[in-house]
Amino acid sequence: MNLKLTYSEAELVALLQQQDEQAFSYLYDNYAAALLGIINQIVPDKQMATDVLQEVFVNIWRKINTYDAVRGRLFTWMLNISRNAAIDKVRSRAYQDGLKNHSLPDDPNTMNHSVRLVTDDYGLRKLVNKLKDEQKVLIDLSYFQGFTHEEIAKSLNIPLGTVKTRIRSALTHLRILIDQK
Amino acid sequence: MNIKEYILSGAVESYVLGFASAEEKTEFEKFCREFPRLVEARTNFEITLEQQLLGQIILPAAGVKEKVMNAIRQQSLFNQTHNISMESSKINNGSSPMKWVAAASVILLLASAYFAYNFYGKNEDLKSQLAKSKQEQTTLDDRLKKLEMVSDPNVAVINLKGTEKAPKSSASVYWDSTSSNVYLVAKNMPKLASDKQYQLWALINGQGGSLLPTSLGLFDVGDDGKIILKMENATKADAFAITIESKGNKGGPTLEQLQTMGKTSL
Repeated sequence: MNLKLTYSEAELVALLQQQDEQAFSYLYDNYAAALLGIINQIVPDKQMATDVLQEVFVNIWRKINTYDAVRGRLFTWMLNISRNAAIDKVRSRAYQDGLKNHSLPDDPNTMNHSVRLVTDDYGLRKLVNKLKDEQKVLIDLSYFQGFTHEEIAKSLNIPLGTVKTRIRSALTHLRILIDQK
Repeated sequence: MNIKEYILSGAVESYVLGFASAEEKTEFEKFCREFPRLVEARTNFEITLEQQLLGQIILPAAGVKEKVMNAIRQQSLFNQTHNISMESSKINNGSSPMKWVAAASVILLLASAYFAYNFYGKNEDLKSQLAKSKQEQTTLDDRLKKLEMVSDPNVAVINLKGTEKAPKSSASVYWDSTSSNVYLVAKNMPKLASDKQYQLWALINGQGGSLLPTSLGLFDVGDDGKIILKMENATKADAFAITIESKGNKGGPTLEQLQTMGKTSL
C-alpha cells in the first residue's frame, strides 16, 4: 500500500489500540529513527541498539492498551519504554560480562572520566554535556545508565537528599537548555 | 501549594524523563488533575523534548522494519487465543448487582474451559492422525511411482537368483535405461544380524573375465524379508549382485558372501 497517510496523535493511538497494522507501520516509519537515536546513546553498539529497538516496538504493540493519554504524550511514553529497555540491556548480566569495568566506579574522579568516555555529542547528551560537571555526572548515571538515586548516593557517598536536589536542579538547567534550542 | 514553584522545581522534567519515583509520580498525576497549568507545562516540555529528539535520529538498517512487522503479526496470533479468555472473564467484572449473572458466568467459564480442554485434546488427536495419514500418503505415492516404473517399457527387470549360499533368497532390480534409476525389490531376503547389511552392486565385465564392482548402496530388510528401495543410479551394468557386508561397508564386495546375482540382458 503506497497511500501516504497522516494521523493525529489521538487517531494513531485509537488505531494502535485496535491493533491496526497500518497505523503501526506508520508509527515505525515516523519514530523508529528517533527512538534508535535515544537507545544508541545508552547502548553504543549499533547492532545491539537495533536489537533493543526491535524489542521496544514489539513491546509498544503489546502494551499499547496500557498507554493513557492523561499521563502524557505518546512519544514520551515510547521514549521511556526505549530508555528502560536500553538500560535493562546495559545492566544485563550478559552485557556486563562482555564489558568489564563498566560498573559504577567507587571513586568519583574515575566516574567523571568514565562519563566523558561514553559521551556522544548529539541529542540529549549534547545538552547534558553543557551542564556543570557535578550535575552532568548525576544525569549521566541516573538517566543514561539507569542507576537509582539510592545507588548513586551510596557509591558517591553523598546524602540521598543531596542527590535528589542536585538532579532536580540539573533538570531545571536542562530544561532551560532545551528551550533555548 | 504553590503550583508555580512546583513547576519550576524540576518536577515536570523529572516526571517526563522518567526520573520520578512511584510516589512522586502519583503526586504529580494528582496535581495534574487539580492544576491545568501543570498539565500545560508538562505538555509544553514534552513537545519541546519531542522536537529536540526527532531532530537527532539514527536510521535503522533496512530489513529491521520487516522483522518488527513479522514479530507483531506473530504476537497478534498469540493474542487472539488469549483474548477469548479475557472476554469471558470481563463478564465477572461487570458492576451488575445481579449475583446470578456472576454465578452464570462462572459456570459458563468453567464450561468453556472444559470444552476448550476437550477440543484441544481432540485437536491434538486430529493433528497426529493427519500427520500419520500424510505419511501414509507419501508411502503410497512412493509405491505408485515404483509400480509405474515397473510397467515402463524402458525399464529392464533383472531377477537376482539365490546362490548356493542362499538358495531361497530372491530379489529383483528394476533398471531404467533412460534415467539410470535403480530400484531394488527384495522378495525374500533373511533378516541379518544388527552388525551386518546387504549391499547391492553393479558389476561390469572387465578384461580377462574379471568383474568390476560399483556399490549401489547398503540396505536392511524388515522381518518379512521384503523391501522396495531406490538405490544409487547405474549407467552401466552387466550384472547386479547382492552381498552381505559389515554394517556401513566402505570397501569392495566380499564375493564369498554373494547372496543373489542376475545378469542384465542389455
